[in-house]
Amino acid sequence: MSIRMNRTTLFLGLLLGALVAGGVYWWQRAPTTAQVGSNLSLAEAMGGDTTGYLKADAPRTFVFPEDHGPHSGFKTEWWYYTGNLNATDGQHYGFQFTLFRIALIPPDTRSLVRTSAWATEHLYMGHFALSDIQNEQFYAFERFSREAAALAGAQNDPFRVWLEGWEATSIDSSGFPMRVRAQQDGVGIDLLLTPAKPMVLQGDNGLDPKGAESGNASYYYSATRLSAQGTVTINDDPQAVAGLAWMDREWSTSALGDDQVGWDWFALQLSDGRDLMYYQLRNQDGTADAESDGVLVAADGSKTTLRRDDVQLEVLDSWTSPLGGTYPSGWRLVIPSQALDLTVTPSFKAQELDVSVRYWEGAVFIEGTTNGQPVEGSGYVELTGYADAATGRAPS
Amino acid sequence: MSNLLRRSSWRYAWQHPWLMGLSVLGVALGVAMVVSIDLANTSAEKAFEQSAARVTGKATHQVVGASEELDEAVYTMLRVQEGVRDIAPVVEGYASVPGAGRTLHVLGVDAFAEAPFRSYVGGPGSNVELSAFMATPNTGVVAQPTVQALNKALGDTLTLRIGGKNTVLRIVGELVPDDDRSAQVIDNLLIVDIATAQELFGITGHLSRIDLIIPDSNDGELQLQRIEAALPDGAEVTRSTARTRTVEQMTRAFNLNLSALSLLALVVGMFLIYNTMTFSVVQRRPLLGRLRALGVTRREIFRQILGEAVVVALIGTVLGLAMGIVLGNVLVRLVTQTINDLYYVLTVRELSISAFTLLKGIALGLGATLLATIPPAREATRAPASTVLQRSQQESNLRELLPRLVIGGLGLALFGGILLLVPSRSIVLSYAALLCIIIAAALLTPAAVWGLAKLLRPLLGKTFGVLGRMAARGVVTTLSRTAVAVAALMIAIAATVGVGVMVDSFRETVAVWLGYTLRADVYVQAPSLVFRRVDTTLDPAVVERLINTEGIAGAYSVRSVSLSTPDGRTNLGVIDQGPNARRAFRFKAGDADALWRDFRTDDVVLISEPYSYRTGLDYGDTVEIPTDEGPHAFRIGGVFYDYASDQGVVLISRPIYEQYFTDRSLSGLALYAAEGQDVEALVDRLRNQAGTEQELIIRSNRALREASLEVFDRTFTVTIVLRLLAVLVAFVGVVSALMALQLERARELAVLRANGLTPRQVWRYVTLQTGTMGFIAGLLSVPLGLALASVLIYVINKRSFGWTLQFEIAPEVLIQAMVLALVAALLAGLYPSYKMAKANPALALREE
Repeated sequence: MSIRMNRTTLFLGLLLGALVAGGVYWWQRAPTTAQVGSNLSLAEAMGGDTTGYLKADAPRTFVFPEDHGPHSGFKTEWWYYTGNLNATDGQHYGFQFTLFRIALIPPDTRSLVRTSAWATEHLYMGHFALSDIQNEQFYAFERFSREAAALAGAQNDPFRVWLEGWEATSIDSSGFPMRVRAQQDGVGIDLLLTPAKPMVLQGDNGLDPKGAESGNASYYYSATRLSAQGTVTINDDPQAVAGLAWMDREWSTSALGDDQVGWDWFALQLSDGRDLMYYQLRNQDGTADAESDGVLVAADGSKTTLRRDDVQLEVLDSWTSPLGGTYPSGWRLVIPSQALDLTVTPSFKAQELDVSVRYWEGAVFIEGTTNGQPVEGSGYVELTGYADAATGRAPS
Repeated sequence: MSNLLRRSSWRYAWQHPWLMGLSVLGVALGVAMVVSIDLANTSAEKAFEQSAARVTGKATHQVVGASEELDEAVYTMLRVQEGVRDIAPVVEGYASVPGAGRTLHVLGVDAFAEAPFRSYVGGPGSNVELSAFMATPNTGVVAQPTVQALNKALGDTLTLRIGGKNTVLRIVGELVPDDDRSAQVIDNLLIVDIATAQELFGITGHLSRIDLIIPDSNDGELQLQRIEAALPDGAEVTRSTARTRTVEQMTRAFNLNLSALSLLALVVGMFLIYNTMTFSVVQRRPLLGRLRALGVTRREIFRQILGEAVVVALIGTVLGLAMGIVLGNVLVRLVTQTINDLYYVLTVRELSISAFTLLKGIALGLGATLLATIPPAREATRAPASTVLQRSQQESNLRELLPRLVIGGLGLALFGGILLLVPSRSIVLSYAALLCIIIAAALLTPAAVWGLAKLLRPLLGKTFGVLGRMAARGVVTTLSRTAVAVAALMIAIAATVGVGVMVDSFRETVAVWLGYTLRADVYVQAPSLVFRRVDTTLDPAVVERLINTEGIAGAYSVRSVSLSTPDGRTNLGVIDQGPNARRAFRFKAGDADALWRDFRTDDVVLISEPYSYRTGLDYGDTVEIPTDEGPHAFRIGGVFYDYASDQGVVLISRPIYEQYFTDRSLSGLALYAAEGQDVEALVDRLRNQAGTEQELIIRSNRALREASLEVFDRTFTVTIVLRLLAVLVAFVGVVSALMALQLERARELAVLRANGLTPRQVWRYVTLQTGTMGFIAGLLSVPLGLALASVLIYVINKRSFGWTLQFEIAPEVLIQAMVLALVAALLAGLYPSYKMAKANPALALREE
């Protein structure tokens, strides 16, 4: 079983949880945890019915820049950007910007004749977080919108995906460079992203199977190293910044997995030009899934697949959220086959997104050795399923 | 001693169950009227507030367009370009459910924008199929009790009728209210996706409004300025409460008038109580005299009489509250019907019984009773400490008082007249004047009764002989009570005359107006939920077909839109009329020649009389109207008589309207038949031509006139019900007063019987006497009634609505008044004469 796919399904769970929380919020006086939980049956019913959608059931040829755009026949899709940025005055920032698309109804049931410009078949959810590392300030925002009335949407030529004022666009029809912009309450980013490596097709040439059954898979590619330039804004005060960013793109139609409760995901960019991605999936009983795996992308873009056995992960510290839940916070990650020994430390601990469904996603810095030589770097880590309310199925 | 007093009171009541019963009934009816009207008014008001609250939610401001709709691009602009976060688009309207007799309040929302605004309270049982709700056309969410009341279940379909078109909607969610309050808030609410709402109401591209939450702070003020600066011409930000207030003001005059009429019933009730209590005191004067001789103090007697009144008041009030609630259930329906006909769509499922209303009823019941009892109680304390007493003393007292009463009455009438002349728009002041006039009439009644009875004596003597003269003299000798009874009857009947003449005058005025204003032969419109506010539009294809129907010689169109102006909403009527228009208007002010010359080419409008009254604008002024191009000033070319809307209307010609507004829809069509066409056959042909895609109301001139008058009559049903109730109160009053009077005569009649008067003659004597009183009351009620009608027509109606009405006196109303008075009086005499005729005179004599 592919780890990535499980991440997809769990994110779908997250998304649906959030959808329910956001969409059903207004049916309810106060969306307490219990109420969100009680509505999950709805989320599962929605996530569970995949009839009528396209499925990721065979390898495909990826064509860029078209594939940066939407694949509306699939139930879910996301555009995912993270990165570490340095300002000219020495300040460090981390950012996360994600837009999700979810189809409300299968393509074959979509109504052809609708006169209202508000008619919609897709919803968009966006998360935007900015970490002000020196000041240990974390800003996180969430948005939802329908794909209608020019409020949200996605297109491929020229590439653009947007949710109200948040957007990722290509400045011409070649896809890259991409401009990523988000702003809310005086906090914002406006970055130009240029790839330093070719796209990495995950799994089997971009088809990432989830289980034995056909179609239980996703299409998935990444840009593991993007040079980023632009501005970061805090308190309406823009700062020029530059740094490295990472993009993930995935679309699929699949049912929710039952036995996973969350995952720990690492996207690390090393000073020697290599990028490392590694996931560890946690089962309901709290153990790490044996199928967890990753990929090491060399400076020239060549990739090496990593298995669970290739990686030793040791938790060094923890952090308890003031809102509940205890997260691991600091790791030693050793890959003997690659002579890599890395210590991964959050840039600061409180980088939890208090959105519809809470999770931790934050900037990290890396110190360590490769072949006995010192290596450093920065990256992003995502931790889900630790907050009490996460997907309603958190371990006790 | 106080025990003795209590027992004597109890015994008296026990021996006069009829009297006590009627007193209690008098209090009860008065209280019931006030309480029921108040409950009906407050229920309607509460229902409106709830429906306003459920659509306003936490919104502090809203962006509205110049007309009822707003370009939807404004929303995207504010949310995306301006980055306004607490903002939600709303499409709002009403839909009827054919066959279920229900009107649903349809609210079209964007689920993701709603969270900060409206929390539709649903417990954990609430179940919403979100994907279907948002992505499938014609789906909606309804409160579970409403779903059940419609005999539906989750997943079922519901047929909605909007503007004559039927749409089938699937119920994809139920809101389960978690308490009664939330159940009321969501009752009859249909929540749909905003796309579905636009399609249901045929307003794609437009929103009803945009809701905003702007904090009450400097930041909020800045945000507001930023939003205002970004808005295109024609759109503006208003406070959310402004809309609610505007709508509430529409019905204020209506509600106030109903309350005043109900208070009138209480006034009549007070006379009744005064009468009963006076009677009970007078009858007990010998007893009270003996009690005084036994050492009972004046204070004790005063307290005792008041105590009796309290008991009567308490029983009457409790009974009145119960009756008021029952009656309120009926009245609330009538009040709601009127509001629906005239003002806005309102559903009141049940009477909401407010503690405040009940307290008011209790206070009025007890207060009025005690107030009416104070004079007789004081009278009781004057009973001399002796066993001998004649009533003649009191009678001579009253006769001595007559000149003073007359002077007081005339003075009060003069004061009332002066109050009416005060240049004010206060309705309360008008009713105060009305009350002065009524009380003045009551003060003048004893003198009038005295005089009229003297005048009638020879006449009665000639017609009925000795018995007739005796009857007339009896009225005068017991003036202290006959005058009160006559006054009560007169006031009640005068109230019915006043209201009757007012309604007749109004109706006649409207009928005349309809006659000259409806000039075309056939009228077409789509069904609208509010009779006097056509908010639906005609399908252009259908219009095309209708105009080209064979036998149509000409047509003009009408469009009616509601504009948001600083002083509330203004109805703008757009007419596209040829030379015929001229004859359809009569001007209160203005130059008709100049007006019709410029109407289609200049920036000139007409305003209706109520609009002129409401806004203070007149011929020659300019009126600023918000248009799609921003506010624009139009010259007022005339003020015309119009009885279609108490809110008033501004009329503009089609060519000028199209210069300033983008809207091209039509609300109605007026068609002229060609020479020699049979209009009814033409209507049938038009109905065939109209097709089935939109249900249309196609009516001949006559049918529309009838329908209009039908609505008119319906809106006055409440008034007529109140009028009937006032008659009932009066009837009870006069029955109890006259019955008391005759029963008190038991001894006198026994003497007459002992002297050889036959039972038949007793019967005639009693009947003649009550008949005389009824006749006098009827006679007196006519001038008072006409005076009341004048105040209602020329002052209260004018001040409430600004209408000029023609004073019309239908002879039936006056005849009715006389008949009513006589019948009441004669019926009242039945029981006493029956009892007296049957009584053994010896026994009756001994009882004293």
